[in-house]
Amino acid sequence: MEDENNTFDPDLIHAIFKLVWTRRALERERNDVADALDCEVGAGTSKKNRQTSANGKAIKLSSELLRIFITEAVQRAATIAEAEGASKIEATHLERILPQLLLDF
Amino acid sequence: MEKATDMEMEREEVEEEETESVSDVLRDRFRLSTISIAEAEAKRNGMEISEPIVACISDLAFKYAEQLAKDLELFAQHASRKIVKMEDVILSAHRNEHLATSLRSLCGDLKAKEPQSERKRKKTPRKENKATTSVVHIPDN
Repeated sequence: MEDENNTFDPDLIHAIFKLVWTRRALERERNDVADALDCEVGAGTSKKNRQTSANGKAIKLSSELLRIFITEAVQRAATIAEAEGASKIEATHLERILPQLLLDF
Repeated sequence: MEKATDMEMEREEVEEEETESVSDVLRDRFRLSTISIAEAEAKRNGMEISEPIVACISDLAFKYAEQLAKDLELFAQHASRKIVKMEDVILSAHRNEHLATSLRSLCGDLKAKEPQSERKRKKTPRKENKATTSVVHIPDN
């Protein structure tokens, strides 16, 4: 039960992905326009709908991946904090585990 | 001519501002989810976690999500698809053997779950899964 409450909302993840994809699509479009002007062809810029989308299960899996990223960060930092005899995870603990965490993801 | 390009520029600026604010809203929602996940995880480990650390982890995870989106798009494009599939997500974690295996098993779970709920007992999906994984036919001459 608790696990289900504590995952990312797939819609949220989908929205974030979509934002990145539209941003990139816009960038590409802009580059295309620049190219077209260079070639002096102008009109007839192919309006290919190049926006990427995702299937629902892929989004769920990505949400899970992001959840794992966060739980790993907390768990590893907790291990360090425990070894140091602290009861609260502080910045120094996160700093210790950060390099390996970023290599692992 | 110049006016047209000015208009274009203005429109682009407005668009950029809009995406900025949308991204801020998403970042905040993302942070809220992160807080609940991180605090639950800390509690499970019998630890407290200070707030700035959670915020920091949230920012990291958000950056990771953006990077992930880029990767997934590129993987899908490489497979000449426009739709991101589960295999792309698994591919994005291929550097980490453990992560890839756990994602693969999750992927299997999702696959097993979906068809049952949608098509109401369309034969045992487990068998289907087994069939697809053991397709490696070796012809016995």
